[in-house]
Amino acid sequence: MGFLLRLSRAIDFLNEKIGKTVYWLVLASVVVSSGNAVVRYTFDTSSNAWLEIQWYLYTGFFLVGAGYTLLRNEHVRIDIVYSRLKPRTRAWIDVFGGVLFLMPMAILLMWLSWPVFTGSYKLHEYSPNPNGLLRWPVKLMMPVGFFLLAVQGVSEIIKRIAFLMNLIPDPTPRHAHGAAAPDITGDMVIKSEGKQ
Amino acid sequence: MTALFLANIAPIMFVMLIALLMIGYPVAFSLSANGLLFGAIAMHYGLLGPDLLQALPQRIFGIMSNETLLAIPFFTFMGLILERSGMAEDLLDTVGQMFGSVRGGLAYAVVFVGALLAATTGVTAASVISMGLISLPIMLRYGYDRRLASGVIAASGTLAQIIPPSLVLIVMADQLGRSVGDMYEGAFIPGIGLAVLYAIYIAIITMAKPTWTPALPLEAITIREPGRSAGYRSLIVIVALSVVAGWALSAYDVLHPIWACALVGAVDYVLALADKYLKLRVLSLMTRQVIIVMMPPLALIFLVLGTIFLGIATPTEGGAMGSAGALILALANRRLDRKLLRQAMDTTAKLSSFVMFILVGSTVFSLVFRGVNGDLWVENLLTSLPGGQIGFLVVVNLLSFLLAFFLDFFELAFIIVPLLGPVAEKLGIDLIWFGVLLGVTMQTSFLHPPFGYALFYLRSVAPSEEYTDRVTGKRLAPLTTGQIYWGSIPFIMIQLVMVGLVIAFPQLVLASVETKHFDINQIQIIAPEIPEGANPSLPGSDVSAPAPSSDDPMAPPSDH
Repeated sequence: MGFLLRLSRAIDFLNEKIGKTVYWLVLASVVVSSGNAVVRYTFDTSSNAWLEIQWYLYTGFFLVGAGYTLLRNEHVRIDIVYSRLKPRTRAWIDVFGGVLFLMPMAILLMWLSWPVFTGSYKLHEYSPNPNGLLRWPVKLMMPVGFFLLAVQGVSEIIKRIAFLMNLIPDPTPRHAHGAAAPDITGDMVIKSEGKQ
Repeated sequence: MTALFLANIAPIMFVMLIALLMIGYPVAFSLSANGLLFGAIAMHYGLLGPDLLQALPQRIFGIMSNETLLAIPFFTFMGLILERSGMAEDLLDTVGQMFGSVRGGLAYAVVFVGALLAATTGVTAASVISMGLISLPIMLRYGYDRRLASGVIAASGTLAQIIPPSLVLIVMADQLGRSVGDMYEGAFIPGIGLAVLYAIYIAIITMAKPTWTPALPLEAITIREPGRSAGYRSLIVIVALSVVAGWALSAYDVLHPIWACALVGAVDYVLALADKYLKLRVLSLMTRQVIIVMMPPLALIFLVLGTIFLGIATPTEGGAMGSAGALILALANRRLDRKLLRQAMDTTAKLSSFVMFILVGSTVFSLVFRGVNGDLWVENLLTSLPGGQIGFLVVVNLLSFLLAFFLDFFELAFIIVPLLGPVAEKLGIDLIWFGVLLGVTMQTSFLHPPFGYALFYLRSVAPSEEYTDRVTGKRLAPLTTGQIYWGSIPFIMIQLVMVGLVIAFPQLVLASVETKHFDINQIQIIAPEIPEGANPSLPGSDVSAPAPSSDDPMAPPSDH
């Protein structure tokens, strides 16, 4: 188990670093897209390459960041039952779901999307739009994203099992309801307490 | 037994999905697991060909290259930055003071600011939290009915769901295959209508239960010169002049109404600034403050919604411009630092990821569900309802209303809407009308006790223990969870009234959309022929599989 926990920590570290790197692409896509819009309003022209960069960047954070999102336990759940269960029962659900739901899906999609990337890479495929971008980098993000999701799935399963064996405390990140607010809610609450 | 199972595989798959979702494992993965399980079963019994799975990467590529969905991170990011830009605080302070001395004034202010914030962002949490932190303590201090106070804050916060630019409408438009711009225009009047209904409800309460909604005492109004009245006269004059000027400019076709509003707003702003810096003292302190504070949100609304409605910008461009605008505003107010930026990017990336993965999951699910003719099952089920269009709409809205107790709108929109859309279209229902209607119904999912997000956000910022009020020094009781739950119920009822109104009067939605349909047809007619050999349906074609149309990720694959 010691080895597995070290593996899990390594995976968490990897996805943490990747997540905190790719989220800068949010800012990049805001800059690129608003720049595109301004150029289109003022000069009435647009470039397909710059338009395609928008969704390349988007894919860069939503797909490559999927493992990070799982690490943060932010993939939304229907918690009408889940939230009332004991931590141990929740851990069982997460082990069960991880093995039967997450892993098959992530591995299958990784496996199916790999040839899509290699095919595109070999053919040196370009976007069909005039002046469009080279396609393989964005297609590579599919297998990479699902791979990162799958390894994070492994790490989550290891942590839940270790918790069930009483080796570590409850690994589930504590946060609010799963949606957009948690970080900000927490912070705002602290702010308001400071005021009073 | 096997035959019976195979004959009913679609309904079984659907029931199984509900069961799996209720366990509480992340929705995105439960959806795809269910799809893959039944895909494997169907392939085993020869109901589906093995090539079905090959369509999956292509579908996911279609989701990646979908430009409409790009609007989701933009509007989220914009909302998160705005939340901290100090705009909401300024607005609530000033507008609260402006309406404060009227009975029920603080409640009106919450509705008004809620609608205004809703028109700048698509994020409910931001509005509810700001109002819960700023307006709620004041309402409790002056003895507002606690249920009313919490209800009006939660409900006004959810206006962000229906008043454009809202995330739910982007998803709805994408799933129904309609343009986001049309969906926004259609939702505008029902959204504003809801705010008006909230205000009417408050007006009725002020008459029926005057003690529930006391006016603020004059000493609580701090924006006034010492010894003078609150200074409403110049405010009323300015508002009246602006309305007349705006109406005249647009009624006599000098300017498009949106440009007219922008011009009048700009003039008012210049006037207020001149008054402030040249010390003209034409305007009262209150008037000046109101105009100066209202300008940033109104400018953002113009930048985002105005440009979308004028047809200058696509919603994606509008979202990007709005995000840039929010960043500039936060910089100008000196609220933007690295920590805030990192937090906003972090939350945006995670939200985009979970939303897009629900979409990936529902794509896997619906690929198989359609493969086993689940769409025909749903269609037969719903077209056999008595009452034609109206019967269908009533049942569908009732269903969404009930599902909204435990699903939130992303799940509803991604799972339910693609099943319902084709049936609605077959019954001759306009899909914009249908989408807006469902949007209003799903908005209630935020208000339903005990799991409505808005109630949850309010709970997280409302006092849960007895506390000493900062101004009066009195001990005040906490806001109980029961009060929050009960407070939401009248507003859920109002929501249902609005659903009824939209069903009864489709013009509420369609009046503003139809004029634009004409333009779109025109554009299509004059569009140049697509040259031979080019692949018109998708921005990126795949080399390994025949490409289904990628602008509709829910379309059945071409090999079926």
